[in-house]
Amino acid sequence: MTKKYFDVAVIGGGLLGSSFAYGFGQAGLSVALIDEGDNAIRTARGNFGLVWVQGKGEGMREYARWSRKSADDWANFSDQLTDLTGHDLGYHQSGGFNISLDETELQQYLRMLEALKADAGEEGYEYELVQGRTLAQYLPGIGENVAGATYCPHDGHVNPLHLLRALQEGFSKHGGCYLPLSSIDQIQPLQSSGFELLSKGRQVASCERLVIAAGHGSVGLGQQVSIRIPIYPEQGQIIVTERSAEQLAYPTNMIRQTDEGTFMLGASARDVGFNSETTTDTLQDIVRRCASAFPHLRSLRIQRNWAALRIMTPDGFPVYSQSEEFPGAFAFSCHSGVTLAAVHAQDVCRWVVDGTIPTDYRCFGPERFDVSTTN
Amino acid sequence: MFRPRTNLTDPVNFSFEGRRLTASRGDTIAAALLGSGVFIFRESAVSGIPRGPFCMIGNCYECFVQVGAMGVVQACLTEITEGMQISKVSNSIDESEMGIKEISKR
Amino acid sequence: MTTQLPLCDVAVIGAGPAGLTAACELAEGGRDVVVLDEQAAPGGQIYKGVEKVFADRPQDIRFLGGEYAGGERLMHRFRQSGAKYRPGVSVWQITSDQEPELGLGLIENGSAQMLYPKHVILATGAMERPTPFEGWTLPGVMTVGAAQSLLKSSRLLPEDDVVLAGTGPLLYLYAAQLASFGIRPQAILDTRPSMSLRAVLLGVSALAACPKSMLKGMKWLWSVRVKMNMVRGVHSLKAQGEDHLRSVSYEVRGYRHKLSTSLLLVHDGVVPNTWLSMSAGIRHHFDSAQSCWVPDIHGAGSTSRKCISIIGDGARIGGASVAAMQGERVACEVDTYLRTQHCSTVATQSRALRRQRRLRRFLDCAFSPTADFQLPADETIVCRCEEVTAREIRQVAARGCMGPNQGKAFTRCGMGPCMGRKCALTVSQVMANAHGVPVDQIGHYRIRSPIRPITVGQFADMALVPGQDKKAS
Repeated sequence: MTKKYFDVAVIGGGLLGSSFAYGFGQAGLSVALIDEGDNAIRTARGNFGLVWVQGKGEGMREYARWSRKSADDWANFSDQLTDLTGHDLGYHQSGGFNISLDETELQQYLRMLEALKADAGEEGYEYELVQGRTLAQYLPGIGENVAGATYCPHDGHVNPLHLLRALQEGFSKHGGCYLPLSSIDQIQPLQSSGFELLSKGRQVASCERLVIAAGHGSVGLGQQVSIRIPIYPEQGQIIVTERSAEQLAYPTNMIRQTDEGTFMLGASARDVGFNSETTTDTLQDIVRRCASAFPHLRSLRIQRNWAALRIMTPDGFPVYSQSEEFPGAFAFSCHSGVTLAAVHAQDVCRWVVDGTIPTDYRCFGPERFDVSTTN
Repeated sequence: MFRPRTNLTDPVNFSFEGRRLTASRGDTIAAALLGSGVFIFRESAVSGIPRGPFCMIGNCYECFVQVGAMGVVQACLTEITEGMQISKVSNSIDESEMGIKEISKR
Repeated sequence: MTTQLPLCDVAVIGAGPAGLTAACELAEGGRDVVVLDEQAAPGGQIYKGVEKVFADRPQDIRFLGGEYAGGERLMHRFRQSGAKYRPGVSVWQITSDQEPELGLGLIENGSAQMLYPKHVILATGAMERPTPFEGWTLPGVMTVGAAQSLLKSSRLLPEDDVVLAGTGPLLYLYAAQLASFGIRPQAILDTRPSMSLRAVLLGVSALAACPKSMLKGMKWLWSVRVKMNMVRGVHSLKAQGEDHLRSVSYEVRGYRHKLSTSLLLVHDGVVPNTWLSMSAGIRHHFDSAQSCWVPDIHGAGSTSRKCISIIGDGARIGGASVAAMQGERVACEVDTYLRTQHCSTVATQSRALRRQRRLRRFLDCAFSPTADFQLPADETIVCRCEEVTAREIRQVAARGCMGPNQGKAFTRCGMGPCMGRKCALTVSQVMANAHGVPVDQIGHYRIRSPIRPITVGQFADMALVPGQDKKAS
């Protein structure tokens, strides 16, 4: 029947896991992608779809650089996926705007960008403040009271659902083995090397290398191979409107138009545990902010409200870990699975093949939370 | 389709795409249009193929029409009133709004 | 916050026999009740426009039938009951149990507002089962229910070239009503297979239990069969035309036939309209006897959320008499809940209810859903809004997609304005068939608010607490 021993097994069929599975397939490895069923907590379905650089990396320069690298690689990555699967991902690196509704918000944001720029040194950190009539030329219909926006040319957006579908189809085209309805609850390290994965006592697959990318499920799985994963759920709510003939040429931090013509409004952040219900007041805050930013979009009908659970780490940056005790086992967690998809599918897959995370990227390890830093 | 109704009690005048039509007071917009021989209400936003009312109880969302200042409504759940100006929902992209200049990349 | 909220005891959503009976019982008992109705006048679908017909065109009453006429008594009782009636109101959300208050989001006269009742009774009734077949999106193809609604509320009658297709009691009732108005449809394309032995036996039991209803039904069926051109054993229905319907074709015993027409009315029975109850997070399951999703109900109408009851066809298809009986019984449950904050389910089943159940078992078996519509051909559009075909659903299923939610993400099936009302059942059934598992295991779309259209502006302007304007500056 199905092959049971793989070069690599990836646990988790979300955006993160699918990016890895696709990348391993691309590298010519035999891969199993192990997924849950239809009701898996799927963050991709609630993703806003930004491939975003601006504003990222305050307090961790490597993350700013990492995001920028992925954004630079994205066009190639997207073309490759489209060539392989025939799916247009709706990816555009148009540059993006971070809109600040009032002056306080704007000044605060500008201070952060300045700090990032100073931090980047000669690597540079590109952004531009756009206000008033100039802003209205780029974003027709922008509200008169909007204080301003910053533009960053490296920003872009993509349809996260198309991305997920293309990754999984691309993975299949490379000969990967998709194993749905398999909720792994036991990882059994094998005697010599490798791992056996079980679901309720049933053997699902065995593998030489193991990648845990199971979102919130990673915590328990990581423990079994002595990897500590300090993550917690953060709920984000998103609103999607009907398809519209209105046009918004650039993605922004609070609203973007998808390739299908619908508008996505977001995004909120709440710490509510594992709860994916929407709440009226949070949704209304989102709607009010968007309505002040773009008054002409007030007549759009809302198609659905959405709440999804993001992966949050204590400092907001990715956590990339490898097991010291069980070589060959890795765990990757982050909330920016769309932006980082390009580097995940390429660079990170290479690390796993090589068997170790390069020293330059050890800064993303969970060890950073162990030391209490004193200035 | 449906038989034209003769001697309407309490007639209401309205228009669809500029055509002047008459219905009976209390009709829904959908009933008023179907009773006047109009059964293509809009074009699909996906493929552009014509669509008309299907379920008449507010569930299929096929009967969206544009009503003056009211905006887009479900024709099967909205009552017709005197002088209503009804038109198809526009799906076309306004070319004039496409002229957005590319921001300079430095 | 609680003390400042304008509260009412009970909000009833839907004004058919179930909702109105419950509202009457509670209001007559002194409860503060408001009935929210999407329609312009009370009656639901079954008694649609009944007050107006009595007032404006009483001559039509006898053509529409005795059961319809009976609705007028209920309207009269309701108008006297003291319950508040708010027509033209759509409910776009019920707050989740994670929010501090049970609240209803309403749209009335183009603006959004919140209502905070202590208890909600959902009486949202039924909707017609999806009937996907090639060409069903053409203008000129409508449901039988739609045509009957146009007849009741606006006296719209089809031209004689009309073709009826499918099966289900409503189809034969409507045909009989047309006959009494002197209209003889071009053809009735009956998709019902010949009656099984089990159906015959259940029919005998139903005849003993509810002789009046059974005889009435047999009379419709007989009059339709005698007076009209009824074609039996129809399958592979297709609607054809460029911009609108021009012709209908179908197969009987391997031969394809074609009829020219501008109006095709289809029907395949009704299913509970569960969009509001599903969006409220209430537990549902797949009822295999009725081949549809129903809420988990205990007692008369208690659900997995104790502040929400469900009655009538929205709980399970039972028809108007059962709906009214449930309305009566749920009133006791709700009254107890309001006094004690605890559920006390009404356990006793009346004899009348048991008799109705025997009738329903026969109807479910004799008019089981049409196979062609349950598992449509590959090229058939399943999702009307996003124009997704059955083939696309089968393709994603073959690649390992295990359910409608992942399928929705991959194909946009169910993402359009109808929010899956016209495709959910089909998609779950097609996927279940593709994977060879029961529909229950495949599951249903997760339904989320808003379940009725609300604009960005309406939502932004809404006061969360009525009367307090918290509009953003």
